[in-house]
Parts: sequence; structure tokens; C-alpha cells
Amino acid sequence: MSDNKHHADAAQSHEEHLREKHLMLDPLPRGRMNEMVMESMMEKPTWKFWLVFGFLAFVVVYFLFYQWGVLIVKGQGEAGVMRPDYWGIFLVNTVFWIGISHAGTFISAILRVFKAEFRRPFTRAAELMTTFGLVQAGFSIFMHMGRVWVFYWLLPYPNQRMLWPNLHSPLTWDLLAITTYLLSSTMYLFLPLIPDVAMARDRSTGWRKNIYKVLALGFRGTEGEWTHLRAAMNIFAFAISPVMFSVHTIVSWDFAAATRPGWSSTIFGPYFIVGALHSGMGAAVVVLAVIRGTMKHMDYFVRGEHFDAIGKLMLIISMAWAYFFFNDYMVQWYGGDKWTQQLLHFHEAGPLGWMWFAMLFTNIVLPWAILWNPKWRANPWLVGFVGIAINVGMWFERYIIIPISVTINRMPFTWRMYTPGIEVPMGIGTVALFILLYMAASKLIPLIPVWEVQEGQMAHELKKFGRETVVSVSELE
Amino acid sequence: MTESKVIDLLAVFSDLAPAADAIEQLRALGVHDDCMNVISGVPVTEAMLGRPRQWTNVPRIAMGGAILGLSAGIFLAYISPFLYPYPIQVSTQSFVPGPPTAVVMFELTMLGMLLSTFLGVFLDSFFPNYRPMKYVPEVSDGKIAILIECPHVDEKKITDALNKMGAESVKPAEAQHL
Repeated sequence: MSDNKHHADAAQSHEEHLREKHLMLDPLPRGRMNEMVMESMMEKPTWKFWLVFGFLAFVVVYFLFYQWGVLIVKGQGEAGVMRPDYWGIFLVNTVFWIGISHAGTFISAILRVFKAEFRRPFTRAAELMTTFGLVQAGFSIFMHMGRVWVFYWLLPYPNQRMLWPNLHSPLTWDLLAITTYLLSSTMYLFLPLIPDVAMARDRSTGWRKNIYKVLALGFRGTEGEWTHLRAAMNIFAFAISPVMFSVHTIVSWDFAAATRPGWSSTIFGPYFIVGALHSGMGAAVVVLAVIRGTMKHMDYFVRGEHFDAIGKLMLIISMAWAYFFFNDYMVQWYGGDKWTQQLLHFHEAGPLGWMWFAMLFTNIVLPWAILWNPKWRANPWLVGFVGIAINVGMWFERYIIIPISVTINRMPFTWRMYTPGIEVPMGIGTVALFILLYMAASKLIPLIPVWEVQEGQMAHELKKFGRETVVSVSELE
Repeated sequence: MTESKVIDLLAVFSDLAPAADAIEQLRALGVHDDCMNVISGVPVTEAMLGRPRQWTNVPRIAMGGAILGLSAGIFLAYISPFLYPYPIQVSTQSFVPGPPTAVVMFELTMLGMLLSTFLGVFLDSFFPNYRPMKYVPEVSDGKIAILIECPHVDEKKITDALNKMGAESVKPAEAQHL
């Protein structure tokens, strides 16, 4: 009798544990979830929020826009780019931000296609990263461009000058790919946002209601509206993934299509994609840790299970990155080309050799040392710390590939170390703008897609197999 | 003063199952599927509610956009090089080389498809629509609403039936600004 009671108690405690662990098994009434998301968004900002916001706004105005003005007025000489390092931090940042933007599509589109249920509460947070990251990437390219006021010369349109962009150039493919990706990811952010904005419209007053009313477009949730929305989201989920792959592949071709030592590599496409996912997932986990730690009720929506799941992905991606790095290194090293050997030696033993080792430490050693452990993996701040480290490492990787690698070329008389100038504050400005946009969005947009969470909760249940209680998911679509 | 011949009723249910039962009951009472519309805060499939499959043009519009995008890609990749006053010969590549052409066509095809998918939602759903509409905000709190268009003479019969099927409220629907 006591054995039976013991079993029953253990089963109940196991069920409670599962419900506590999994958001999908711990449903609240939809109205309550709406309230929680609205409260988190409309909560009056504290003085700390305004302090950080004001500081970031100052950094954006002074470091990004004022310095950009200086760069425009005085010319590219203000930046450290000079023969042979014509590609400096502006392009490092471009590649870095495009990499960050890959997390949104990966989490939202690819995990949606594979029906990975843990994605549900944070797809929007990741999609926002994509859009805001691409804005920084666009800014960084414009900074590099110099004469930014004639950017439209890049666009293919009939004009009096009888000039068309050279579509044989990887730089023009960049324009097409990044524009396609920016537009697609913004649309993909907006479509699933419509029902949540409609929810916010139904619950707000004043200026907020007016904004949400416009953004909700008159959405009511009729059968037809859901059908069209679902069809569109399916098309987007499948179609935006190859666009994402193409963007970073094309970025890699900016380098790989040249016959420079260290760049001419057939593996650069997938190597860059894996690198982008590595930094993107790292950034996504940092954003989630901050959201969970600073916004009201977010500990209900974002739990240890989500950090655990992203942590696993980060570990796998770190392994894949290590594989591609070694593959690229091995082939270049084995090739025996004199200048390539010189460059590889310069990477490891040159004045910035510490950066090369730091890159390997933060991209491989640290993630492997921490993310193998399920308990550590479920700790938001620890996984967030790994995410920051990976991003530092991935920024180093781009720095090594771009300005450090162009230092060593086949003309030794041109060798010169790159010393950045105005690019540094402007780069810091893009980081500040990214965070600033995110902070503003957290007060204006429901960061949790409540309808997707509710849909997931409807599909999940606990099921008994013999004496064991397990999580069961039904396919509702 | 003449009385309107048809009336719109809005029945609100707390859950999916009674809403599905109510739809079946409405059909039994002679209400055609075309005269019903279900409003919900989550996507509920037609099969769950026993409703006919909804038609959507979004995939067709997407396909049309993809074809337009591909055409734009072909124009840029194949035709625009001939529009230069001074043709650009890149190294030993042919004048219109294959691989770069594939890149340009791929990107523009995808751009055309995704833009038109987005526009397709607007066209099919008649977005944006800021006119007064029949709606209850409780829908976004998880309730399921059925909007029924029925002859005025059947109002009582249908209201009673819906109440019997577990409707939380059944009332004439009034268009309102959302």
C-alpha cells in the first residue's frame, strides 16, 4: 500500500517537475498571457532604463552620426584604411552584423520548418535581431562606401549616365542579396506580428492604440485571415532559408573570389555560414538572458529549457565551426604556397597573434568546456556569457580574415599593419544603435508571440506510458 | 420602415469543442457554411471545426511574383550588359557568364516571390481595412466566436440552439471601429 502511495507521489512530483520545466506544459489562460506580455511592454521604465537609454543615445549621436559626418566632410583618410589595407573595420563590422542577423532566420524559419517546439516564445526576439542587425550591416557598408550620397549608383535603373552596375561583380551580388534578405526578414518579422499587434490594439488606449490599430491592418482572426497568414508564413519559412544561406555565401565570395593568399578557398561559403550561425546564436542567447532578467513576467515565457536547447545548438555549431576552420586551415597550410605560409605564420605569431589564439579559445574551448553540461547549459547568465565570448571571438575571426589577411600579399613592399582610426568609435556606435533599437522595440512591440505560444500549449500534453509520464506533442497543422 | 431581412449574430464560445458542435448544429438548422465565419485568437484548422477548406491565393500570387522576379533577373543578367555604352569585359569570362547570372537570377526570383507572398496576404485578406467590423475583443483572449448570417425570422431559433450548445453569449453583431 505504502509502495503504491510512494509511486503515486513520485509520479505526481515528476509531472509537476515537467510542468515547471516546460512552458508548453504549463499553460495559463490566454487572457492572462496577454496581460503578462502587455504589462512587460507597458511597464513604466525605471530610471536605470532611462540612464542606459540616454547613454546609448549619446553614443549613437556622437560616435555614430557625428563621426560619420566628420568622415564625410574630411574623407576616408580619417579611417585607417590605406594600401594594402583598403578593407578595414567597416567591412569587419558588415560581415559581423550580417552574421548576427542569421540567428533570426535560423531560429524562426529553420526551426519552424523542423517543428522544433522550443522556438515558440523567442522567435520574435530573434527576428528582431535579424532586422536590427541588418540595419547595422547596411550602415557599415555605407560608411565604407565613402561617398554615401551617391549610393544609388549601385542600383540598376535606366539613367542619363548610361551606366549599369556590373552584375559580374560579387559586390553587386552583395547589394542584391542583402537587400533581398533585409526586405524578406522585415516582412517575415511583420507577418506573425499582426495577430499580436491586434491583441495589443484590443488592450490599449491613446497613442498606442492608434499605432497598433494601423499596424494590425484590421486583423480580426477570421478563418480566411489565418489561412492566408499561415500559407504566407509557410512559404516564408521555406524560402527565406536559402536566401539566408545565399547572403553569407555571397559575402564570403567577396573574399573567396579573389586570388589573395588566405582568401582563395572553396570552403569559404559554408565556413562563413557556420560562423554566422555561431555568432548569431551567441547573440540570441545574450538577448534572451537580458530579456528574461530585466523584463516583467519573462521568466514565465523564457525558461531554463530554452537556454538548454539553444546551448545544445551552440555546442553543435561550435563543433561545426571548428571543423570548417580546421578544414580551411589544413588545405591552405598543405598547399605550400609561399605567401599563404607567410600569412598563416603571421596570423599565429604576428603582432596580433593573441587575437588568433583568443578566437580559438572563445569559439571552441570555452563553449565546449561549458555547454557540455546540461545544468550549466540551463543557466541563462552562464550561457549568455558564452554567447558574448563567442561574439568577441567571431569578431576577431572577421578581423583576422579581413585587415590582418590583406596585410600579407604577394607584394612584400606594400606590407603594412592596419591601424584603425575613426572606424572604432563608429563601430561602437553601431553596437549602441542595435541595443537602443532593441530597447525601444521592447517597449513598443510584444516580444513574445503569444498566439504561437498558445498554439504550442494546445498541442502539448502529458501522456502515460505504463507508469512513466512523458511529454507528447500533437501535430495540429 | 422596413425591417432588414437578414441579421448577423455573434456567438462566443470558451472552447473549441463546443464551437465545433455548434457549427454542426447550425448546419443542421439550415445555415449554410458560406453564412458562417469563425473568428479565433489562434489558427484553428478547418478540420478541427468541421469547416470546408478555405481557399487562399497566396501560393499562386507567390508563384507569379517569382516569375516576375526571375524575369527581372534575366533582364539584369542577360540584357543590361548590352546597355552599357562601353561593354565591360571581365577577364576571360564570357560577356554574359553563367555562374554570376545564376546568382542574380536566384536573388531576384526569391525577392519577387517573397514580396508577392507578403502582398498576397494583403490582397487576400483585404488589408489594410480600417472600416467598422463585426468583432469581439474577447477573441484575442482565447475565445472562439462564430459570426452567423441568418434570416431575421430564424434569430430566436438559432440563438436558442447556440445557447444550448454552450455559447457564453449570443447577440446581434454590430460593426465597430477596432
